[in-house]
Amino acid sequence: MSELSRRDFLKLARDGFLYLSGALALGGLLRFLDHDPNPAAKTEFDLGPASNYPLNSRTILSDPPAVLLHTESGFSAFSLVCTHLGCSLGNDSVGFSCLCHGSRFDADGTVTHGPADKPLRYLRVEVMDEGNLKLFTA
Amino acid sequence: MKKTLTPASGLLLLTLLFVWWWNSRLPKAVELTPTLTGQAEYCLTCHADVPEISPSHPTATFGCVTCHGGERLALDADLAHSTMRGGANPSDLSVVEQSCGGTSCHSGSEADDRHHIQRVMTSIQSTYAGAIANIRYTFGAQTDLNAYSGITTLTDEQTQTGIASLAAFKAAGDDHPFIQKFGENCLTCHINATPLEDENYTRHTGCAACHSTAQHTFATAIPYTQCNTCHNRGNYDLRTMTFVERTDQPTKRIDDYYQPIAQFTQCEYTLDCVDCHTRTEVMGNGDIHANKKDIQYTQCKTCHGTPTEQPLTKKLTDPNDIAFTLSFLNPVGDLKLGDMILITEKGEPLWNTRVLSDGTYELFGKATSQYFTFNPVMGSGCTQSGDDQSSAYCHECHAVER
Amino acid sequence: MRPSFFHHLHPPTIPAAQARWRHTLAAGGIAIFLMLILGVTGILEMFYYVPNPEEAALSVQAITYHVPFGGFIRNLHYWAAQLLLIVSAIHLLRVVFTAAYGQPRQFNYLLGLGLFVLAILLDFTGYILRWDMDICWPLTTGTNLLKTIPLIGDFLFRITVGGGEACSTALLRFYTWHIFGLTIIVFILGFWHAFRVRRDGGIAVPPPQLRVVSARISRNELVRREALAIFVVGIILILMASLLPAPIAPAMTGKPGITEEARAPWFFLWVQQMLKWGDPFIFGVLIPLGVLILLVLIPYIFPKPADSDIGRWFPKSNRFAQIVVGGIGLIVITLTLLSFVP
Repeated sequence: MSELSRRDFLKLARDGFLYLSGALALGGLLRFLDHDPNPAAKTEFDLGPASNYPLNSRTILSDPPAVLLHTESGFSAFSLVCTHLGCSLGNDSVGFSCLCHGSRFDADGTVTHGPADKPLRYLRVEVMDEGNLKLFTA
Repeated sequence: MKKTLTPASGLLLLTLLFVWWWNSRLPKAVELTPTLTGQAEYCLTCHADVPEISPSHPTATFGCVTCHGGERLALDADLAHSTMRGGANPSDLSVVEQSCGGTSCHSGSEADDRHHIQRVMTSIQSTYAGAIANIRYTFGAQTDLNAYSGITTLTDEQTQTGIASLAAFKAAGDDHPFIQKFGENCLTCHINATPLEDENYTRHTGCAACHSTAQHTFATAIPYTQCNTCHNRGNYDLRTMTFVERTDQPTKRIDDYYQPIAQFTQCEYTLDCVDCHTRTEVMGNGDIHANKKDIQYTQCKTCHGTPTEQPLTKKLTDPNDIAFTLSFLNPVGDLKLGDMILITEKGEPLWNTRVLSDGTYELFGKATSQYFTFNPVMGSGCTQSGDDQSSAYCHECHAVER
Repeated sequence: MRPSFFHHLHPPTIPAAQARWRHTLAAGGIAIFLMLILGVTGILEMFYYVPNPEEAALSVQAITYHVPFGGFIRNLHYWAAQLLLIVSAIHLLRVVFTAAYGQPRQFNYLLGLGLFVLAILLDFTGYILRWDMDICWPLTTGTNLLKTIPLIGDFLFRITVGGGEACSTALLRFYTWHIFGLTIIVFILGFWHAFRVRRDGGIAVPPPQLRVVSARISRNELVRREALAIFVVGIILILMASLLPAPIAPAMTGKPGITEEARAPWFFLWVQQMLKWGDPFIFGVLIPLGVLILLVLIPYIFPKPADSDIGRWFPKSNRFAQIVVGGIGLIVITLTLLSFVP
């Protein structure tokens, strides 16, 4: 092992201390910036009485953007948030389309035209004790 | 100078390590977002061990700040507690309107029977108006027994009793010395005052005086021991105008608890006070009264009737009847639609009672769930006149030997 | 190595006598360092501070208690600001007591005074941004002082506060003054002030022929001394920020009741004390302005210091200026202490 002079050792120590201090400061800065001060977004939505959505109905909801279906097997829903980059879908003659980048979906949520490549997400719907419907987006 | 930079940078590193370490010692914030407010609170970071206060005030719905006030984001005790209302008791009458009242809680108009706070503030238990009037009249500070003063200043614009306001009672310099001593010694027994320190009779002020039966607990099932934190606490010595607190810790109601000179029937030492005394009697009806006898009206005949009249009853046909609400909060008797219950002369439901098919009655103790059956006076061997409901008459036969 | 701006700021050698710690007390340099800290921590706070009246105090609480190292950054910002005022005052005293304001440094002296006033205004506007219960009365009285100025009072009030009742309306405008309006001026004047130090020949020294000591220190040595000062002040600041919390109070909801004495921020206690004596325009505007004008005039109307005295502590030739400035300092301190006497 080559001799390390006292001066070089001190210089090495000083530089080491400074780099470590810099790392600690940078780490602290990153932790400081990585904080979400916002209240958690709503994930449960009360849709009102189940009787408002009769059998065989398809209802387009706006908050959250979704389609609520009432079939013989019960209530279901899928999201109208485009699976590409999150814009809200609009209606078209055969299903839904996205004005942002041109994705298109059929009435059941399957992709018919990209750039989206995933079908619309199914959301859980439950009937509550009081007869109201609750939609879960989580 | 060249050599000092190395230790200086070493010290800097140490200081930054200290900062990281100091930061890691901070308590991890525990968040609660009550569904009623949608605003995150962090009281549970330090107060996680506070019990749920009642089934009808779940913490997940109300949180802490709605009732207590305080700074919801603060993790430092001094700041967090600085805007709390009423210290540890937000139901203290000085802050009860903001804590228990608010726009959507226990406040509202007389029309929808939601003026709880206004009723309590004007009740005899809060104002002490009768006692104050009596003392002032006796010792010459006023020339009649009308109520002019109470514990705090009050106004009642919709008064039905003619008493539109009370001034705050303060013994003036020229008042009789006994009025002054009364002010100093005898005013701890109303729900506006801080009670004297005594472990046997610790109680809160405001709504909590009656409804808080244990630490951070609400109840409508209020046992007689709660009432005895003011009543039956000792004796007044009128010769010296002092209150002499009792020093014993009684356990047997009829033998030890009550005054030795008084008479009691079985229900008076077996039932709890709330089993007979109604909400209007205890919490007032919204008007300022000058005397206890103007508001207290439960009598033996309320439940038992008289030799010539059956007690008043009511069949519960409306599912929104307040009797069902009260029974829901304390379901001792499992009240059902169609049940027939006893009611008072003013129509207040005795919801823990029921008329049985054979013409007798049953009662469930509100605080104990004890079950009692009892008979009406009519058709019994009672020889009293039903008009005389003074205490001596029923006690003549029914008082218990002590 | 090609010379950079850094080399321009640090000449190859500077006179050793004036580069000693006990000559300058490093006060000017430390002031620059503190301003840098304030800029960085201030910008970091901007990621979380919400400048609207309903959320401002709550966002301060969020920074203090919930953002990782948020309390530390806030405390750093607060203590750096208060230390800046003290260090600036020490720097001003040093400049006067070492007769360092004479030509060609007279203009730089004015720039420095301007920076001092700006630092005080930045401290006040920053204090207001807390928007908690304690700031309403100082904000009201402080801004109402502007209205007492004849002819332009209301105009000045509208420019600084935006009009209306200060405790309802001042937040957004004070925020903009604090993060941008005053800061950009400090930036420009600060750079100019540092540049002028260099252009006027560095730290004040007697001209070469009158110099007693001719030793000089190298540029590297100067940088080392600066680094040491930064380390020392930095470590002290970090410890203060960790162990001494910045003031915090519940949000301002309506006008606070007067239950206890409303105190001005510490650097204005001397003005608050004077305002107890009479007419607000005289005691709150004219006298402080008079103090400032007196300080401004020192290089111009007071006896000029002799060339041989420049850069020496407590020289004879500007004794009068030293007494006046020292006296002002003592009076301000006395008035501040008096405000604590009930």
